[in-house]
Amino acid sequence: MQEFNPSNNVEAPDLLRRFIPTPVKAKYRVGGLRMMVQTNDFTLLPALPFDPDHDGAGEQNLAWTLIRDADTHGLLEPPLFLKSGTLTVVLLGTACVVGVDHERRELFGFIGADIDVRAHQEFLVPLLCQMTNEVLVSDPNPRGAIWSKEVANG
Amino acid sequence: MTLTFNRQTLPLRKDFLIAGTCCHLSTNSHDILRTAGRCLPIRKQSDARSFEMNIIVDATLGSTSEHPAHFRGLRHLVFAILPPRSFLTYDLLRRRVYGVLSSPAACDDSFWNSLLIPITLGVLGTNLGVAPLHCACLERNGRGFLVAGASGAGKSTLAAALAQRGFTFISDDWTYVSKEQSTLVAHGLSSPIKLLPDTVRFFPELYQFSPRRTLNGELAYEIGPAHSIGFTVKRIATPQSIFFLERAPTLGCHIVPCRSQYVRDFFEKSAERLPDELTEAKTVRTSIIRSLSAFPSWILRTGENPHRTAEAVDHFLAEASHARV
Repeated sequence: MQEFNPSNNVEAPDLLRRFIPTPVKAKYRVGGLRMMVQTNDFTLLPALPFDPDHDGAGEQNLAWTLIRDADTHGLLEPPLFLKSGTLTVVLLGTACVVGVDHERRELFGFIGADIDVRAHQEFLVPLLCQMTNEVLVSDPNPRGAIWSKEVANG
Repeated sequence: MTLTFNRQTLPLRKDFLIAGTCCHLSTNSHDILRTAGRCLPIRKQSDARSFEMNIIVDATLGSTSEHPAHFRGLRHLVFAILPPRSFLTYDLLRRRVYGVLSSPAACDDSFWNSLLIPITLGVLGTNLGVAPLHCACLERNGRGFLVAGASGAGKSTLAAALAQRGFTFISDDWTYVSKEQSTLVAHGLSSPIKLLPDTVRFFPELYQFSPRRTLNGELAYEIGPAHSIGFTVKRIATPQSIFFLERAPTLGCHIVPCRSQYVRDFFEKSAERLPDELTEAKTVRTSIIRSLSAFPSWILRTGENPHRTAEAVDHFLAEASHARV
């Protein structure tokens, strides 16, 4: 049994792992699309074309936040897609859950400890691109089509 | 498998009340409406605070893998895997829930009362102006009070002992507090009271039940209000004081006043951290906690068994009541 001591400077609990730092950041440019990826594990950075000229200023079209979830184990399971007007969420077992907010242009993913780099790059990254593409194709801005074409062509 | 949430796929709708907020429930399943109708009151008037709950029942989930409860969240999205074979996404900014439930979960009152409803309010409540606070709530003669304390301090056990002494039981573990005008209102749900196996020596009535594994993995008796062990249950109360329960290694029960800063620190530090996107929710929660900190508050330090501690609280409140008169 633990007594509460208000003088202890203890942070409130982060039960959902919302506040895991994501110090690894990279910028990508695919066609006209500029994208920021931030993660706590550099192996989760997607193998997509970097944007060497992007100094952080100007327009950023989409952001991915990918968390390597060290406390979660297991392999990928068949995907379950939930789609609403504003969100697309994919559950692949407890090992991986990804959600994209179409209006806010943000993609969030938790990727379990046992998902290796190969599974991530060969299966998950195309899935994330597909989800990103669905955000962009619903946008009247033509850059979406360019992203779609380039990702499709590898 | 892809499930799409829209008006065509969710043709059945009904509004319910959860802790003073309105839940606009949409679903594809009559089972959901029936179960929600058993577990929740139907909304009768319009409420400013409301959220959407969109639930698809899919029988094919029965063939998928079973997982223990699992929660993750980033920014305004929260994901929850709940057994049996169910998955929910909470969009906190838009106050929407999207869920897919297995057929057994759709019909199971215990799933709704122990998991779906308390978790939904726990995740979404702060965004609806209802702060989930880690404390029990009881009432006597129309005066509610909260019993807070660290995990393992014995809040549930004391709540059960107080309820057996004639106090009205609102909640034992989580209480959902909102501000109506300038008055704080404490809401309880129909969640079962959770008592650890060793409490059977204080409550022999528990022998008729079997302990089972709870969400956090511990073995406990979970006794629903319908099977209450001799106490009166209400869903709502007006809290006016707070006890902070601490276990002492020696016999005796001591009740000493505590500072408002202690109250603020306790509830702020035991509450879940919220992301920057939810600034308004943070503000509302802080305002509720500040209002609570103005209440008379005491540290209840006890080395006695729950019934003797309940007796001490009973006498203390009676004396405080006489002093007010």
